[in-house]
Amino acid sequence: MSVETVRPSRFRLLSDNERLLGAMMLAPAVLFILALVGLPLLISIAFSLSDVTVGDTSLDYVGLENFRRVIRTPQFQRAVINTFIFTTAALLIILVLANILAVLFTQDFRGKWLARILVILPWATPTSLGTLGWLWLLDSKFSPIDYVLVQIGLLGPDTLLGPGLHLNYLGREYLAMGSVVLVHVWRLVPLSAVILLAGLTSIDQELIDQAQVDGASGLRTHLQIKLPLITPIMAIASLFAFILIFTDLVVVFVLTRGGPIYFTQVLSMWSYNKGIEGGALAEGAAIALFFAPVLLVAAILILRTVRRIEVT
Amino acid sequence: MSKRNLWYLLGSLALLALLLGACQPAEPEIQQVEVTREVQVEVEVPVEVEVPVEVQVPEFPEGTSIHIVQWSHFVPQYDIWFDPFLEAWGDANGVEATVDHVGIPDTTAALTASIDAGEGPTMVEVLFAPSAFVNGVQDLTDVNEQAQALWGEQAASCANSSYLPAVDKWYGFCHSWIPDPADYDSALWADAGYPNGPETWRDLLEGGKAIKDKTGVPLGIGLSPELDSRMAGRALIWSYGGSIQDENENVVIDSPEVVEAVEFMAELFNNAMTEEVFAWTPASNNQGLIAGELSYILNSISAYRSLQKIDPAAADNIGFGPALIGPRGDQAASAHVWGIYVIPSYVEGAELEAAKAFLLHLTANANQAVFNSELYNFPAFPSTVPQLEGWVNKDPFGSRPQDKLALLADALNWTVYLGFPGPANPATGEVFGASIIPNMMGKAALGELSAAEAVCEAHAQIEDIFQKWRDDGLVGGEASPDCAVG
Repeated sequence: MSVETVRPSRFRLLSDNERLLGAMMLAPAVLFILALVGLPLLISIAFSLSDVTVGDTSLDYVGLENFRRVIRTPQFQRAVINTFIFTTAALLIILVLANILAVLFTQDFRGKWLARILVILPWATPTSLGTLGWLWLLDSKFSPIDYVLVQIGLLGPDTLLGPGLHLNYLGREYLAMGSVVLVHVWRLVPLSAVILLAGLTSIDQELIDQAQVDGASGLRTHLQIKLPLITPIMAIASLFAFILIFTDLVVVFVLTRGGPIYFTQVLSMWSYNKGIEGGALAEGAAIALFFAPVLLVAAILILRTVRRIEVT
Repeated sequence: MSKRNLWYLLGSLALLALLLGACQPAEPEIQQVEVTREVQVEVEVPVEVEVPVEVQVPEFPEGTSIHIVQWSHFVPQYDIWFDPFLEAWGDANGVEATVDHVGIPDTTAALTASIDAGEGPTMVEVLFAPSAFVNGVQDLTDVNEQAQALWGEQAASCANSSYLPAVDKWYGFCHSWIPDPADYDSALWADAGYPNGPETWRDLLEGGKAIKDKTGVPLGIGLSPELDSRMAGRALIWSYGGSIQDENENVVIDSPEVVEAVEFMAELFNNAMTEEVFAWTPASNNQGLIAGELSYILNSISAYRSLQKIDPAAADNIGFGPALIGPRGDQAASAHVWGIYVIPSYVEGAELEAAKAFLLHLTANANQAVFNSELYNFPAFPSTVPQLEGWVNKDPFGSRPQDKLALLADALNWTVYLGFPGPANPATGEVFGASIIPNMMGKAALGELSAAEAVCEAHAQIEDIFQKWRDDGLVGGEASPDCAVG
C-alpha cells in the first residue's frame, strides 16, 4: 500500500505557527503605536535637545539647555505643582462620587434610565464643548449660578457670600483652581462610575447573600465585601482618570488659560504657551517631556493591575 | 405614552424651563442712557471704490495657482468682499486663486505645520509680527520695496512688524493694521466730569474710581493671559516712558518708569476694577461694554460695530478716545492686530511671483479693504486710502454723531508695535505669548510681589528669552542679567 504524502498548505503552516501568527496579528497594533506614539515621542526628545523653533526646523544639538531654561521659571514650577494638585484633588472626588453612583445604579428605582442618561452625558460630550458650557456658567458677569445665588439670598449686599453680585469664579486664585477641579470631576465621574458599575455587577451574588444571612448591613457589605473585590477595577478607573486629568490641556485652555496669573497653569498649557504661542518649540517639547516619567509609571501600574485581574 | 413616561417628560420640561429662567443675566446696576432721538441705524451697503493705482502683473504659466490661509475677519463683510476679490484677480490673470478662512489661533498653527512639513498654502496671513518664522519664510524685500516705491512711506507700526534688522530681512508683507482706541461709556464718564472721556492714565484712575464708587460699574483693563491684557499692559508701560527693550534690542524693563507703571496698575485695580479682569478672555471687554457693565475698555471698534447692529441706542452712548497720556506726556498704544502675509520658503517659481503680485493688487485696492472692514482695517500705506479721513469724520456706517471716529484720523501718531521702540523680534513675540507683562502687573495688583519685585522677576524671564534668541542670531543687543531696580 502506498502512502500518499500530503503537503500542508502555506496557510496551514502559518496558522499552526503560533509565534508567527501572533506576531502578524500584533503587527498592525505595534505599527500603529510606533507611528502615533513612538515617533512623536522620539521627535519630542529630539526637539527638546535642540534649538528648533517654529520658523527653523533644523535640529542643532544644545544638550539639556532647554530643560535648564524651563525648570528655573516660576511658571513651570507652578505648573508642575498645579498639575499634581488638580490631578490628586479631582481623582479623590471622582472616586467617592463614582462609588456612590455605581452603588446607586445597582439598585432599582423609578427613573433609573433617565438618571443613567444624565450621568453619562458629560462623558459623551466633547470636553471642549462641555468646558465651554462651564466657562459660561462661571462667567464673571453673566453666570447663571451667581444669578441663582442672588435670587435665593446667598449673594449680594448683606449676604453670606459677600456684597458683590458676582463671585468671579475664574478671577480668584482658589475659586479658579476649584473650578478646574470641578470640571475635571464633572467630565470623568461618568467613566469611573461605569467602570465601577461593571465591577459591582460582576460580583457573585452568593457572596452578598451569605453576608446578608450573616447579618451584615448594606454599608458593611459594601465596605468589606464589595470594595475589596472591585479594588483592581477601581485601580483601573483611577489610573485612567489620572492619565486623562494629568495630561489634559482643554479644560485649562478653555476655562482660564492658566490664569489668574499662573494660579491654574499646568504643564500641558505651559508647553503650548511656550512651544506654539511663543514660537519656542524646543522648550515646549522639553516641558511636555516632564509628563513622560509619570505616565510611564502609570502605564506600568495599569498593565500590572490588568494582569492581576486576569490572574484572579 | 405611559403615565410614568408622561411624568418624566413633564418633569424634564419643567427642569429645562427652570434652567432657562436661571440663565437670564442679572439686571445691570448702571445708569440708563437717556435716548431722545429716534433709534435708526443706516448702514450703507459696501460699494466699489475707486482704484487709485494700477499694478502691472506679469503673465503666469498655465496651471499657476495660489492658496491663501487667513483669519475669519471679525467684520464678516470683509470676507464677503475678499473672497470674490481674490477670485476675480485670479480669473483676470490666469491664476487659480483660493482662500481658506480659519480662526485666529489656527493661522499660526497652520504656518508652523506648513513650514515643518515643507508644503501647504502659498501664503498665510497672521495677526502679529511672525518674526520667529523668519528662517522658514521667503524674503519679501522686493515686494516691500516695490510697494514703498508705488505708495510711499509705510506705517511704522507695519514696517517694524515685518522687517527684522538682525538678519536684514523683510519676512512679511504688512498690508493693514487695526487701531486700538479706548471705548468708554459716555454717560457715565460725563457724569463723572469727563464729557470727552479720560485723557490721561491719572484721569482714568480718578474718574474710574468715582464711577465705580457711585454706580458699581468698574473699568475693564485685562490682567489675564490673553491678547487684550498683553496689549493694555504694554500701552501703560510705554505711556509711562518705559519699554521692554530699547531701540537696540537691549532689555530695559528694569527701569523706574516700568516700576511706576506697575504700581499704577495695582492702584487702578484696587480702586476701579474687580477680580474679573484676571479671568479676561478676548471677548470679555466687548461683552462687558455691550452689557453696560464696564465703563472703559481698550479695544478695536469691532465691539462697537456689533453694538450698532444689535442696540443702536447703546452704541450711541459709546465714546472713543486715543491712547492715554502718561505722567511725563508720553502717549502710545499698540495696534490691535496687523494684517501680515508671509510666504513659506517652499513656495517658488510662478506660484511665488503670483502671490507677490496679488499682495500688490490687494494694497492697490486697500480702500476697498478698509471700507469693507467697516473702517476696522487701516492701510499700511496711507496714500492708498485718501478717502480715510473723510470716512472717519463722517462715518458711512451710521455712527452718531457722524464724527465719532474722527480721533482715528491721527491714530498713526500714537499707535506703535510690539517691541517698540525696537523691532518686533522673536524675543518680544515669545514674551508676548508667555503673558509675562500682564502676569507681572497682576502679581503686583494682588500684592503677591511688590512692583519692583514683579519687575525683576519679569526681567529675569525676559532676559533669558532674549539671550536664547540672541544665540540664534535673530535678536541684537547685549545681555544685562542684573535687575537695576531690585
